Amino acid sequence: MRKSTEKKVKGVIYQILAIAFATFMLIPIYQAIITALTPPNAGWISPAPLFPQNTSFQNFLNTFWLVPRLPIYLLNSFIYGIGVSAFSLLIAIPAGYSLARFRYRLRSPMMVFVIYANMFAPIMLLVPLYVIMKTFGLINTYISMIFAGSVFTIPLSTWLSVSYMQTIPVEIEEAALMDGCTPYSVIYRIIIPLMKPALVAIFIYAFITGWSQQFTLALVLISDNKMMPITQGLYQFFSRSSVSWGPLMAAILISTLIPVTLFLLVEKYIVQGLTSGSIK
Amino acid sequence: MKAKKSTPYIFLLPLLIAFGLFLFYPLAKVVMDSFYKFSFLNPSHKIWVGGFNYKWLFTFKLYSPVYSYFVGALLKTLIWVGGSVGIKVFLGLGGALLLNSEFLNGKRFYRTLLIIPWSIPWAMSAMIWYWTLNGQFGIVNSLLLHLHLINEPVSFLAYPTSAFISTFVVDAWIGLPFMVIMLLSGLQTIPHHLYEAATIDGAGDFVKFTKITLPMIKPVLLTVSLLSVVWTFNSFAPIWILTRGGPVTSTTTLPIAIYNTSFRYLMFGGVGKASAMTIFQVLLVTSLSLFYIRTLKGGES
Repeated sequence: MRKSTEKKVKGVIYQILAIAFATFMLIPIYQAIITALTPPNAGWISPAPLFPQNTSFQNFLNTFWLVPRLPIYLLNSFIYGIGVSAFSLLIAIPAGYSLARFRYRLRSPMMVFVIYANMFAPIMLLVPLYVIMKTFGLINTYISMIFAGSVFTIPLSTWLSVSYMQTIPVEIEEAALMDGCTPYSVIYRIIIPLMKPALVAIFIYAFITGWSQQFTLALVLISDNKMMPITQGLYQFFSRSSVSWGPLMAAILISTLIPVTLFLLVEKYIVQGLTSGSIK
Repeated sequence: MKAKKSTPYIFLLPLLIAFGLFLFYPLAKVVMDSFYKFSFLNPSHKIWVGGFNYKWLFTFKLYSPVYSYFVGALLKTLIWVGGSVGIKVFLGLGGALLLNSEFLNGKRFYRTLLIIPWSIPWAMSAMIWYWTLNGQFGIVNSLLLHLHLINEPVSFLAYPTSAFISTFVVDAWIGLPFMVIMLLSGLQTIPHHLYEAATIDGAGDFVKFTKITLPMIKPVLLTVSLLSVVWTFNSFAPIWILTRGGPVTSTTTLPIAIYNTSFRYLMFGGVGKASAMTIFQVLLVTSLSLFYIRTLKGGES
């Protein structure tokens, strides 16, 4: 009897705490949604109403009319993201194979270095990256954003690749090697097919991180309006005197749809990889 | 595995080349550049100034009679990181405990809600917050007014102290989901029978928390917190979008100072000066990483 009352009281208290927590986490997203749904001709009210009065999807159309290049910015972001992912995988798969399957002198310092390299952020290398890219005439190119962006996703991609490869039983590869496979064909005949879920997770991890870091990198690597990623493109909604909040929030909601969906799909793998990678 | 001696190195080569070109080479360049005076507008025109840039870090003052621009930024960074990581760890642990509790209904639902803010690109989150914190039309103001916590709308980003607090709260908001999910997976590894045994011995919730949960989760808590300290140290986009380091220099943390010195305040002529600042940033992060790697290794043995 006492037990069940305690359970009920705790259940209620925890529910209240969870709702408070969720409110904090969702407040900005909530306002972004109701702002985007406010009819364009309705003026803003101060203080902001907690619930929308009228709703309309007009902003979602207006946003493309106001900033016609929006699809181009989205496409740019997409290309930068895919490029970073592809480049990270290209390096992380062979490196992962090398670090997971062979014992050699450079192995353990390399593992430590991979963890260390994960601590770097774009802001620390912004100046030299800018100077290097400028020297090679790579400012305002996809390639500069992809190379620069990959620096910061390769470490964790490699780590994820090592930790997943270690879970694959080595016997299959040994049998293949006995049958006359070379280590190179082992990678694409055996490792890559077996690692599919991990590859998807790494790809999406790099895509999302790359997408997040585009803003800082593009500040210096991209000045041509046509090459801007969506984050920079959104500044088109800011004019000297005002900000078109409704269309801006609509544009943000449209452009976060891709990363959010991707993340929800593979969140499980990423969390698994992260816990095996950073926590042990 | 049997193979030629060179095989593992060949597979490692792409990684080494990528790190060499885009990590070591730029880092070496930062060190070199810190001894020159030049502007990003004309990077080929460099003048050797020796240690002047380092001297400048400690002597150049902007709006502050006491601290130099750099030292002020460094001190602000420490407080800012403390505030942000403090919130992340405290609320992160709270959230993880809630999501791990047997008494909470709808855990899956809350967990999914948490994933959404995690997956929004940081710059977008900061832009949304820029609107949410708006002095006239922001919903934070409206919520605080409804709760009678304030009497009139506050322009959070217009005053030094509130801008400083707002930026690290936003940064904490961005980093919280990662923290909760990581700590939650740490909590889930604690064997359930420990709690059952404690219940039989008549231990209360608080005793269970301090005697079982905390010691069991300590390694995870430590590594995740350290990781979070490093990431928060490098945090640039949220502050840049919300305040650009202002009002005055109230939110100018080290990353913002580096950016402003090299790309924004042309009067500083400052790529060399920013490079000198970057070296301090790299040294700080490196020492934190060493600490982090040591804790990881300690956890393994």
